[in-house]
Amino acid sequence: MIPILAWRNLWRNPTRTLVLIGAIALGVWAGLFMTGFATGMIKSYISNAIDQIVSHIQIHHPNFSEDHDVKFMLDQPDQHAAEIAEKEEVKAVAVRTLASGMISSAKGARGIRVKGINPAQESAVTGLDQRIVEGDYFAGKRKNEILISRALAKKLKVKIRSKLVLNMQDLEGEITPAAFRVVGIFHTGNKPFDEGHVFVQRKDLNRLLTLTSAETVDPSMIGHEIAMLLHDTKNIPALQSAISKPDWEVENYKEISPDLELYESQMEFVSTIYLSIIMLALTFGIINTMLMAVLERIRELGMLMGIGMNKLKVFLMIMLEAVFLGAVAAPIGLTLGVVTIYFLGSSGLDLSMYSDSLEMYGMSPIVYFDVPAKVYWQIPVFVACTAILAALYPAYKAIKLKPVEAIRKI
Amino acid sequence: MDVIKTQGVTKVYNPEKIPVHALNGVDINIEEGEFTAIVGPSGSGKTTLLNIIGGLDRPSDGEVFVGGQDISQLSDNQLIDFRKEYIGFVFQAYNLIPVLTAKENVEFVMLLQKRSKEERDQRVQELMDSVGLSDKMDSRPAQLSGGQQQRVAVARALAPKPTFILADEPTANLDSKSTENLLDIMARLNKEENMTFVFSTHDQRVIDRARRVVTLVDGKISQDERRD
Repeated sequence: MIPILAWRNLWRNPTRTLVLIGAIALGVWAGLFMTGFATGMIKSYISNAIDQIVSHIQIHHPNFSEDHDVKFMLDQPDQHAAEIAEKEEVKAVAVRTLASGMISSAKGARGIRVKGINPAQESAVTGLDQRIVEGDYFAGKRKNEILISRALAKKLKVKIRSKLVLNMQDLEGEITPAAFRVVGIFHTGNKPFDEGHVFVQRKDLNRLLTLTSAETVDPSMIGHEIAMLLHDTKNIPALQSAISKPDWEVENYKEISPDLELYESQMEFVSTIYLSIIMLALTFGIINTMLMAVLERIRELGMLMGIGMNKLKVFLMIMLEAVFLGAVAAPIGLTLGVVTIYFLGSSGLDLSMYSDSLEMYGMSPIVYFDVPAKVYWQIPVFVACTAILAALYPAYKAIKLKPVEAIRKI
Repeated sequence: MDVIKTQGVTKVYNPEKIPVHALNGVDINIEEGEFTAIVGPSGSGKTTLLNIIGGLDRPSDGEVFVGGQDISQLSDNQLIDFRKEYIGFVFQAYNLIPVLTAKENVEFVMLLQKRSKEERDQRVQELMDSVGLSDKMDSRPAQLSGGQQQRVAVARALAPKPTFILADEPTANLDSKSTENLLDIMARLNKEENMTFVFSTHDQRVIDRARRVVTLVDGKISQDERRD
């Protein structure tokens, strides 16, 4: 009888109940929406960073990360890369030569990181060839071809076939100038990366780095970085230790780019934070409504206790009313949320109008909503806890009533 | 046999500020099967006495025995259980549960008593027949007239088979016809089931039907008239 009484009490004032159910459902929907949006953005940022920049694992000379000095090379990088590529968990491997320098055109100059790449390997690891928006992806016919980003091309006021001069330190510490011709313009959607990096063929960069070196240095053996992409991120720790060597620094993407680890860890909490804030706001709404519901039936509650309904049952009745409220509202909010997430997860939310700002942070202009599965069971728990917490005070007020005074209440 | 017995019952409201003496040493014995009206002017202490006898309020001093048990010694929760088992209440404003049907209202206290469904159904049918509302079983209080609601309230009060029924101004909101109808029902139940009724009332029609009239003035019994 208590559950029946609680359920019917809920519908004494249908408008008020429906408004509150709507508020809770909206809160649940908003929690899912915000979680989906934030998780989608974070995943987009992480996946962009992994796909385009850091890969899953990178290998460097132990001293290279400190000041990126070109002399800290890997020993026989191509041979090792070939061995790593044979491992079944590895999807693709790329060897890179890295240098820092100055790039200048007739209209301007900028500090730049130069990535010397093997075009085919780079296509497999970062899909750089897919990001060419103008020109070609290393036709390979001529020496000293360079790919620059659209953002950098704009800053240096250059276009396809323009000439650029790269000045960088070679292996002997001498400044080596070299002229490059723009063959392709890329756009990754990560503005800081685009403005700070250019791609040349590794064989060209290696040749330039050894221009003033003794003849004993074989240009084909120069390489500073082996980057690899795995089929499954679960295998990262195992592979990382399997390929580890004393003269290598083997780092995963979280170690290379700690911001990725920060974002990844935030994904765990983002839903909790959003849901907590929303549910906290809803708590006051539920307290208000439940308190009103108690205060407007003081006489009835007094009568119930008068005719023999004990305080525990009165308390349970009020608590059940709040629980029923949540039990009706949560599935409505969840259903709306699931539909929204499904739709925005497949078609994405187009934020192209803010693409410049998003690219500044390395994020895609289309956000594909994603909600971790655990959130779908977290929400009912949150709603139930909120409803119970919010009903505690009104229920306490109810059991504190003195029947003799309550019955006389007009 | 005394169903209710009070000894020197005193009730003082606001004892520390401006004391109001609602009852001043009331001694009253009510026997099984009595049909008693407690009358008196407003503020004479009728409702206070009924509340104390019914375990809804506690006396400031004195003792209250119901069925031989001193109820002034019971805790709040024990009092709730006591009321559930031994006392039926009929309130002036009917005080039915608006979200329950007439049948469910009558059944409610029996559910709290954990009576079986069979027993409940049988008792509800019997009582609704008795108050002439067997065709209104599924009506909610808002669908019933004042008189019908008060008859349901009487059926509810009788449902748990209490030792006695306390009715606080039960006819105050009823028209003449409903009042007569209700009094007929209560008189019949009193006679047929030997149920003890104690009323507080101003209503001359109730006073005329009572077999004992206790008059309270300024919290004291000024007259106790038996009309056997």
